[in-house]
Amino acid sequence: MAAAVVKDSGFEALEKLKSTEPPVFLAPSSISEVARVASQYLFAKLKPHDPKSPFDELLVDGFDAEQIWQQIDMQSQPLLSSLRCEVKRFAKNPREVRKTENLAHGDSHEDDVDEMDMDGLDLDDDNADEDDDAELEANESEGEEEEEDGEEEEDEEDDEEENEGIEDKFFKIKDLEDFLEEGEAQEYGIDRKTKKAMPKVKKQNFSDDDEDEEDDEDDEEDEDGEFGAFDGEDNEESDKLGKARYEDFFGGKKKETKMKMKHVIDDEEAGNGNQGNENLSTHEKELLKLQSKIDQMEKANLDPKHWTMQGEVTATKRPKNSALEVDLDFEHNARPPPVITEEVTASLEDMIKSRIIEARFDDVQRAPSLPTKSKREAKELDDNKSKKGLAEVYEEEYVQKSNPSFAPATFSDELKKEASMLFKKLCLKLDALSHFHFTPKPVIEEMSIQTNVPAIAMEEVAPVAVSDAAMLAPEEIFSGTGKIKDESELTQEERKRRRATKKRKFRAESAKQPVKKARDTTTSTEMSKNGNE
Amino acid sequence: MLRRNVRLRKEYLYRKNLEGDERQLYEKKRKIREALQEGKPIPTELRNEEAKLRQEIDLEDQNTAVPRSHIDDEYANATQKEPKILLTTSRDPSAPLTRFVKELNIVFPNAVKLNRGGQVISEIIETARSHDFTDVIFVSENRGKPDGLIISHLPFGPTAYFQLLNVVTRHEIQTKKEMGKMSEQYPHLIFERFTTQMGKRVMNILKHIFPVPKLDAKRIVTFSNESDYISFRNHMYDKGEGGPKSIELKEVGPRFELRLYQVKLGTLEQDEAEVEWVLRPYMNTAKKRQFLGE
Repeated sequence: MAAAVVKDSGFEALEKLKSTEPPVFLAPSSISEVARVASQYLFAKLKPHDPKSPFDELLVDGFDAEQIWQQIDMQSQPLLSSLRCEVKRFAKNPREVRKTENLAHGDSHEDDVDEMDMDGLDLDDDNADEDDDAELEANESEGEEEEEDGEEEEDEEDDEEENEGIEDKFFKIKDLEDFLEEGEAQEYGIDRKTKKAMPKVKKQNFSDDDEDEEDDEDDEEDEDGEFGAFDGEDNEESDKLGKARYEDFFGGKKKETKMKMKHVIDDEEAGNGNQGNENLSTHEKELLKLQSKIDQMEKANLDPKHWTMQGEVTATKRPKNSALEVDLDFEHNARPPPVITEEVTASLEDMIKSRIIEARFDDVQRAPSLPTKSKREAKELDDNKSKKGLAEVYEEEYVQKSNPSFAPATFSDELKKEASMLFKKLCLKLDALSHFHFTPKPVIEEMSIQTNVPAIAMEEVAPVAVSDAAMLAPEEIFSGTGKIKDESELTQEERKRRRATKKRKFRAESAKQPVKKARDTTTSTEMSKNGNE
Repeated sequence: MLRRNVRLRKEYLYRKNLEGDERQLYEKKRKIREALQEGKPIPTELRNEEAKLRQEIDLEDQNTAVPRSHIDDEYANATQKEPKILLTTSRDPSAPLTRFVKELNIVFPNAVKLNRGGQVISEIIETARSHDFTDVIFVSENRGKPDGLIISHLPFGPTAYFQLLNVVTRHEIQTKKEMGKMSEQYPHLIFERFTTQMGKRVMNILKHIFPVPKLDAKRIVTFSNESDYISFRNHMYDKGEGGPKSIELKEVGPRFELRLYQVKLGTLEQDEAEVEWVLRPYMNTAKKRQFLGE
């Protein structure tokens, strides 16, 4: 009774859901109750096909969306595998499918599942829709699947009727067009449901997103949108089911390529439709390769560079011990330090030995110091026996003390004197050589012969080496008293007296020494000589 | 003491300034002298100053004929005083380094070793100046191996920075018993292949660490330059059996290679002192050039 109630109300609930406007789902309203009832109904429908399910019915009272989904999921998972087996079985035996097909038409909703399976196995594309349904069951919530199930059934029926007796390909084309239109509507209509060419994973994600997005109330919200998606999925699913199916579904391939191209240029669909994935021209293949290479390189360029290419890199910026792995090569600009081998030491020692033999050292030379004091007079001690007696020594001392002038010159005095004499003479000579600053001869007290040379002979233009001090003084030439009278001043008696003395002298001289005359002659000759000079 | 130092430094800088003019004058005189000797006409650019310069040339004597550079002024009086050296290390020396410094203490006659402790370099140099040291030698290390030697001549003299390589200490070679005692005689010095200007400067610096030896000293210290690496060796020699020409050498003391990388015209604590010469290994021609000789 309860089941029947559920059944009726569930159907009504489904109908109601279907009829409500989509915006209603967005806001929280009483529609949530309706949705729950509908899910319960669908769950109950599937229950007979899933013996392993722990739930007899879907528990909705007081449960939130997550829990409800979990229950549905628990039921659907085992169903998936069983359905797959069924599909495979029917694929091998198509006739069985045909049999069950006819039964499907008149059946109630309870056989929906079987029908779906059978239809899915059909070689026609419309059955692909049913595959979608199967797909639905595999991927989506039970509620959605069931919902679609109801609708699809109607579509299937229509298609079935048309297809009987018509070639597959032909039909495929038509279906293709429908499919494309749906896709376009989908694309331009609802942005959220993106490309059909999406791989299954994306679709799954997408559907997961849908699931996440939905709240408790929005169980059936995606129902409409999923249609197209399911269609797309359908193709991929069919590809997977077996090679035979894939070859037969040649159109499916077309559809896929069409779907890809659709977004680019709609006109090229027909042309591109001729190419299948397996029949790419070499040009196409090369292009693809290039493209992949380009993608790789672009990706590499976007990545951060390897540390060896980064210019100046410190140890903190590269991974640990990475410098050990890289082969570093750079020029050393300094000469390496010398390795001290035996040969080096030997050569060094040879050099040292030769230097020693030559006594050629580079020692510090002491600078000759300037004498600050003169050397003390070193008194020479005479070893010889003294020639003077002691008495004589005392005598000399006494004499020196009393009368210094009479003292005989000591040895040192004599030397001193000699030295001073020599020095004076030298100085005189040096001075004489220079005219301008001539110093007169120092007075040396010694006996020297002075010649009676007239002054005029001395005074000559040539360098005067001898001063006129060497000449005899007038007094020395003429010796006599001061009173000198001229002959005119003499009286008679004076004259007589002079004559008498002169006579006397003359007689005396001539009598004593005739040598005196010689002397006169010498003087006269000297005078003549000097005169000639 | 401080003011005296400041005055000395000012004199030094003044003389350095004059040096440029002196050098020009010297060059001119040299040209005139050459012209006169060879009987060639005097170069035209010197005609105006020729008379005056000739006069100066005539009055020249041995000292004034050579242009005096401020650089060698530092060692002008060094020959009159015996060198006195202070040896220290970098902070917190390891055991191998202290052993090495002990050996150096014996190698350099008149050397005094000082524990570094926590002293600052400027303090050390001040005390050294006040105690009339002529040179301070710093030794630094890297993980037990001595790797740096800094010789700073004291009144305000040059500082030479060396890198030590291939150091072999006496402790490494033999056990203590076999080592025996090292002679502390004033050694003879041998300098090999210091030909360039820089080489002569370095030779001067190293020479004046050692005092004047006796003529018959048996100890020899060798500094041999081979492509800018100076080898230091310490030998004792003896007349061999083979006659007067044969010599027996016995290696004594540490051996190491020195590599000069900087010479500064100031003492160690004067960071702002002018750099006389610095090694530039990053130049492209660095491999081909040799700075110290041949």
